[in-house]
Amino acid sequence: MEQNKIMIDYTHRQAGHCESGTTSNLFKHYGLDLSEPMAFGIGNGLYFSYIPFLKVQYAPMMSFRNIPNTVFRRATRRLGAEATVIRKFKTQKESMDALDRNLEKGIPTGMQVGVFHLTFFPPEYRMQYNMHNMVAYGRDGNLYHISDTVLEQPQTITYEDLQRVRWAKGPFSPNGKMYWITSVDKNVDLRKAVAEGIAKTVYEMIKIPFPLIGTKGIRVLAKDVRKWPAKLGNEKASFYLGQILRMAEEVGTGGAGFRFIYGAFLKEAGERFNSPDLLETADMMGKTANKWREFSYIGARNCKNRSEPVEDYGMLGDMLVEISNMEEAIYKKLEKAKF
Amino acid sequence: MEEKAKKPLTAYSGNYRELFYTYDSDGKYDREVRLHDDSDKLFINQTWEVFDERIEEARRKVHAGKASPIVFYMEKDLLDPLSLSMQVGMSLLRVKRHLKPRIFRRLSEEILKRYADAFNISVEQLKNVD
Repeated sequence: MEQNKIMIDYTHRQAGHCESGTTSNLFKHYGLDLSEPMAFGIGNGLYFSYIPFLKVQYAPMMSFRNIPNTVFRRATRRLGAEATVIRKFKTQKESMDALDRNLEKGIPTGMQVGVFHLTFFPPEYRMQYNMHNMVAYGRDGNLYHISDTVLEQPQTITYEDLQRVRWAKGPFSPNGKMYWITSVDKNVDLRKAVAEGIAKTVYEMIKIPFPLIGTKGIRVLAKDVRKWPAKLGNEKASFYLGQILRMAEEVGTGGAGFRFIYGAFLKEAGERFNSPDLLETADMMGKTANKWREFSYIGARNCKNRSEPVEDYGMLGDMLVEISNMEEAIYKKLEKAKF
Repeated sequence: MEEKAKKPLTAYSGNYRELFYTYDSDGKYDREVRLHDDSDKLFINQTWEVFDERIEEARRKVHAGKASPIVFYMEKDLLDPLSLSMQVGMSLLRVKRHLKPRIFRRLSEEILKRYADAFNISVEQLKNVD
């Protein structure tokens, strides 16, 4: 392979969440100053689903976020930016060639990757998780320059390792998926984009007629949490609880399962459009996020000693019901918010 | 490669600062870059303790001849039979059969290679669990 040395003038910024951070950084690269919370809110990052009969790493599956690529796709569409997403490549080589061509053209390129074999990733976050996002913005021989918003500093990865993580297998396998922005509309009507984003999130959180998604899902989870110790024994209940807390607080959520980021979005939108309604919901969301934090804080005590719970699971269930009610009130208010 | 495969799972190293958003009592949103707090470390550590125990348990079973080496590497890579079947592109039932030592011993090189590739190790390593 010829000695290619490319370095795009791309600014790495650490972010709370990989996909909204990546989307925000890409927009900034093309001159539209879109903050991470704005990208997250407009692109419908917020979500809740709880699927007890599907197990991920031996615990019930749950998610505080939408499926991969939602934020990028919806944010670019609503903001009138031209973007390309290649979902699938026939061969691994083809996906790497396409990346090289992009870099040669000076296009910083986002990719979906699996984190398990991601060499520079913090060891404690190594898990079978295929929905991570990062941007390649340069190449030096066999090394690629990577901006991964989870980390403070930009990273490098070898050709072989990059190919491996882009073709990680298992649920939600990336299949080499890559995406980039070609042009942005700097005079975009943000108000419309924000309104569309909020309407969709309201729909997904309180209107989907299926009990495991949105605020209803939080209530189902609350019911199950109460039953865990009797049904599964203390050890397993503690492990399950730990897994919920990991999903909520660990790597790439910005804390409290993205609720802080969404609140920051409502705040920014409220200030920009001078809307008391949005500012009020921002406060409500902030309080709910703090409640999630409190839930994590109290729940974590049950993870210290697995066989002897310190806190009562019934009480934790009650907290979740309270959170669910608080969230429902927010979305109902958002539905009618004027701005 | 070999070094990577042998590296033990580590508990929380605590070296990585993440970006968190905050909301304070004055109604102000902010961002801060910090380590996870002690409360978070409780459940992060617990998770790794549980995984480490599962891996050690699998190692014992393999040595006792009660499970095939695939079980050990599956646990080591934090997989379950279903996700492993997706990694190697075989049906779940077939993968579950391969978890039995008796069946494992009869597996062809080609099948072994598929597992070894999924675990990012050599076939030799796959056959020997230390």
